[in-house]
Amino acid sequence: MSDVDEEITRRDFFSIVGWGGVAATLGGSAFSFYRFYSPNVLYESQKVFKIGKPSEYPPGLSEKWKKERQVWVVRNESGIYVMISICRHLGCTPNWFQDKQAFLCPCHGSIFSIEGNVLGGPSPRLLWRAAVKIDPTDGQIVVDFNHRQDPDPMSTEQGLRVDEASREVEPFFLKV
Amino acid sequence: MGSSNWAKISTWVKSTQFYKAIFRHGYEDTPRNRALTTFSNVLYHLHPVKSRWESIKLRYTWCMGGTSLLLFIILTLTGVLLMFYYVPDVRRAYQDIKDMMAVVSYGTTFRNIHRLAAQLMVATVWIHMTRVFLTGSYKSPREFNWIIGVVLLMLTLLLSWTGYLLPWDQLALWAITVGTKMAAATPLFGVEGPFGLQLGMRPDNDVKFMLLGGTEVGQNALLRFYVLHCVVLPLMVVVFLAVHFWRVRKDGFSGPL
Repeated sequence: MSDVDEEITRRDFFSIVGWGGVAATLGGSAFSFYRFYSPNVLYESQKVFKIGKPSEYPPGLSEKWKKERQVWVVRNESGIYVMISICRHLGCTPNWFQDKQAFLCPCHGSIFSIEGNVLGGPSPRLLWRAAVKIDPTDGQIVVDFNHRQDPDPMSTEQGLRVDEASREVEPFFLKV
Repeated sequence: MGSSNWAKISTWVKSTQFYKAIFRHGYEDTPRNRALTTFSNVLYHLHPVKSRWESIKLRYTWCMGGTSLLLFIILTLTGVLLMFYYVPDVRRAYQDIKDMMAVVSYGTTFRNIHRLAAQLMVATVWIHMTRVFLTGSYKSPREFNWIIGVVLLMLTLLLSWTGYLLPWDQLALWAITVGTKMAAATPLFGVEGPFGLQLGMRPDNDVKFMLLGGTEVGQNALLRFYVLHCVVLPLMVVVFLAVHFWRVRKDGFSGPL
């Protein structure tokens, strides 16, 4: 008798086929909806872009690309890095104050040094630096906006900071 | 072994308060339970509690009303999907459609389902009306529902027509040019219609002008047709459908005696 119980009856078979068909239809619809909903082509600004040759950037901070590309270009004694102008607190755009030599965020008052260290305010992380490289053909700096350096900061008397040498590494720094 | 575990899980799931809160009446096949299932369900209650076997035979109903509803649901779902990639702006509407066909995954599929279902729905609504006419189901006491049905037919045709303009290609432009030109010949309200001029109709204030939001098929027309197609007309269809089904429930199926 138990053998008969284990057998798949005609009713079971059609039940499995029927519900299987329903599941396949719903699954296929869900999959096609998911693929439809994920755009293949974006009409956003480019996330990998060129910002000119290193020789165009004198020592100090350049705000040339802030409005268009949301980055600052900084040249220090040893080279160039590109910092993303997005506050790490809630994403506003900080402003550079030449007299204070600091970035101040207008939203909640985060203060960053030119290296991206936090000097004050609510920001829990340091400013991002974007990956950079030199295009071998035309010698321009190529910035990858979505590839970012995000070090874990130490808490000090002066705020959150990291050793600058640890930030000046490939691919986030150009020794030029 | 597997099936007995399955049975245990199934029994447990059906014993939970959560399951019982959703599936309120179980499978018990009694007249009372069947009636309860219908009475207490917002979707079923639009349908008659009981109907005669003969009157729901396919050869009698042709199932064209139900098919129209199914197509309307499909059109709503695919239409919402298309709205995610389509912007009713004369500068980009055509390109959005081209993108949908070329670079959006399953864009071609969903657009073609929407197009074909739309054309099919016009046909099924007409066939549904033909069947109702042939079986005399429009007669008293169902006269009111026939009128609701005529309104639904008009709404279906208007949905089809307003959707026609949205691809913003040559076919769309000239179809709406011709269609609104016909509207200008409406008696009383069209500038080219009988008594239109006498009633003070001008090309910039008659019914064609109101449809297009201008004197030519332009940005205003595209936006108007888009809003009508995606919001106003579907909402009206839903309201009239609810009344339509409610009347079917109240009047009962006609069916052979």
